[in-house]
Amino acid sequence: MTTVLETEELRKQFGELVAVDGVSLAIDDADITSIIGPNGAGKTTFYNLLTGVLKPTAGTVRLKGDDGLVDVTGAPPHEVAKAGLSRSYQITNIFEGLTVRENVRIARISRDGSRMDFLSRADSDPDMEADVGEILTLTGLTDIAETPCDQLSHGQKRTVEIALALAIDPNVFLMDEPTAGMNPTETTEIVSLIRELNEEIDATFVVTEHDMDVVRDISDRIVVLADGAVLADGTPTEVLNDERVTEAYLGSEGQ
Amino acid sequence: MSGDEDGTRTGLAAFGSAAVTDGWTRERISLLVAIGLVAMAFAPSFQVYLFTEFLIIALFALGFNLLYGYTGLLSFGHGLFFAGGSYGVAIVLRDLGPVIADVVGSGIAPVVTFALAMVIAVMIVVVVAIPVGWLSVRLEEIYFALITLAFGMLGFSFILQNPGGITNGTDGILVLLGSVEIGGMDVRLGDRQLYYFLTLGIVASATYTIWRIVNSPFGAVCKAIRESPDRAAALGIDVTHHRWMTFILSALFVGIAGALMAGLASVASPYHAHWTNSATAVVATVIGGATFFAGPIVGAFIYLYVRWGISRFPALEAHWELFFGALLIAVVLYFKIGAVGGLLLLRERLFGAETSTDGGGETE
Repeated sequence: MTTVLETEELRKQFGELVAVDGVSLAIDDADITSIIGPNGAGKTTFYNLLTGVLKPTAGTVRLKGDDGLVDVTGAPPHEVAKAGLSRSYQITNIFEGLTVRENVRIARISRDGSRMDFLSRADSDPDMEADVGEILTLTGLTDIAETPCDQLSHGQKRTVEIALALAIDPNVFLMDEPTAGMNPTETTEIVSLIRELNEEIDATFVVTEHDMDVVRDISDRIVVLADGAVLADGTPTEVLNDERVTEAYLGSEGQ
Repeated sequence: MSGDEDGTRTGLAAFGSAAVTDGWTRERISLLVAIGLVAMAFAPSFQVYLFTEFLIIALFALGFNLLYGYTGLLSFGHGLFFAGGSYGVAIVLRDLGPVIADVVGSGIAPVVTFALAMVIAVMIVVVVAIPVGWLSVRLEEIYFALITLAFGMLGFSFILQNPGGITNGTDGILVLLGSVEIGGMDVRLGDRQLYYFLTLGIVASATYTIWRIVNSPFGAVCKAIRESPDRAAALGIDVTHHRWMTFILSALFVGIAGALMAGLASVASPYHAHWTNSATAVVATVIGGATFFAGPIVGAFIYLYVRWGISRFPALEAHWELFFGALLIAVVLYFKIGAVGGLLLLRERLFGAETSTDGGGETE
């Protein structure tokens, strides 16, 4: 197993508040790793540090490149994405006014570096159209490919969210609460989609999730964050039976 | 996407074909529009002037809308680039005209000079747009509108200051296009009909180029940035760089419009850089509908012809801005999709044709 994403003593401080307090993690190839923790544990800040939305106060973020790990600490989001880290958002963030196909095509244009081509038609490259079609098939969006995204259901939008992140061919795929706001049926569908994708494509998944059933179901490994630091790290059985984890959850929810 | 566009029509024709029902093929519409455009040249002189001005304002608004409707950045300073075009032409004609006449001989000098003036004017605009855009695209929303407004007014005061006598202060610069002798006939370049055809050719080519741009990978990325800049960045798109490039392209087309205006109005006026001129593009685009390709064209038409209509009543003319204020409020409150959107909606009601009018995605 090779490490595809590594943080070392990653720290973020907002004034007096330490949101992420020295997190060192190595994420291995082809795993599904879940990052869980009570509200305010620092999950979102941690994600924002990884994706370049926030600059860390201290520490480093490294991503697997062509030869070994590359330091991407403090790089802007588009460079982190180019370096192979893709993300989906907890609050759906897709190109609402455009069709599903156009959404995926834009991700592909970005990946292929053809965004400065302003004379050919966006849909004129047969290779790209084939790639776009493949991603739509993989995510089960083919039937609604020509529908504008603002006419989709919540569950469909969440799937477009995943399709977009996949379309740039990431090495690491961060999913921020993929089942947020979904009903049980939609949740089951997304969970099986994540499993399927993990088998079919060569990307490593890092998932944050509130739904413990989902976490238990999909994770190869679980990392628990509490108060900005790693509280527990191991297989689902190890972590979910850990007393400190139960305490962290009950403690914060009981207050 | 309205689908099978072949891109060979002007935006106006595109709008026309979208607004009628079956039996009116695209070819027939294009032919009608072409005949109409040629016939326009034989209208009374003032009408030719007004229609030429409409074409120029349409290009002004189309260039502006590349940044506004397609990329989501509202500029209140595009008058700067309009003035860059008009002053570029005026200064080249004034200062280089005699030099060029010496080189190419006085016979065809006016043609060469004007062509050269257009090219240099657009180059000047691009040179100005590079740093202005670089600084402006670092901001978003209202801050972007304010910084572009500030740059526009900076340009306006620069022109009024008349540094080194180059801009001729408040008077502006007189633009004389001269005349050439063709087959013993004296042909004035500034002739209403000739200038109309020249403008028509340039505006049509520019419109077609903008049409290609909005349907290209570049344009697709613009729309993505309009819909969600942080999502675009998370997909690896350098949003700031892309906005900057769009800003420069947008300024370039506005510069062409400004350059054409100098020849039409026979003057490069400081008011081309004034914010009220920048607002012309904003108002025309909003009236016509920023989410439609033809929106700025239809908006420019309404803007100029309503203004002309008002000007025929001297009692009202002094307050014509008031009418526009009212029109704009009506559009913003009741017709968010603009005149084009309104017409498509009307067509849907009348003919039951299926028309999607929702969302910002209907950009064709």
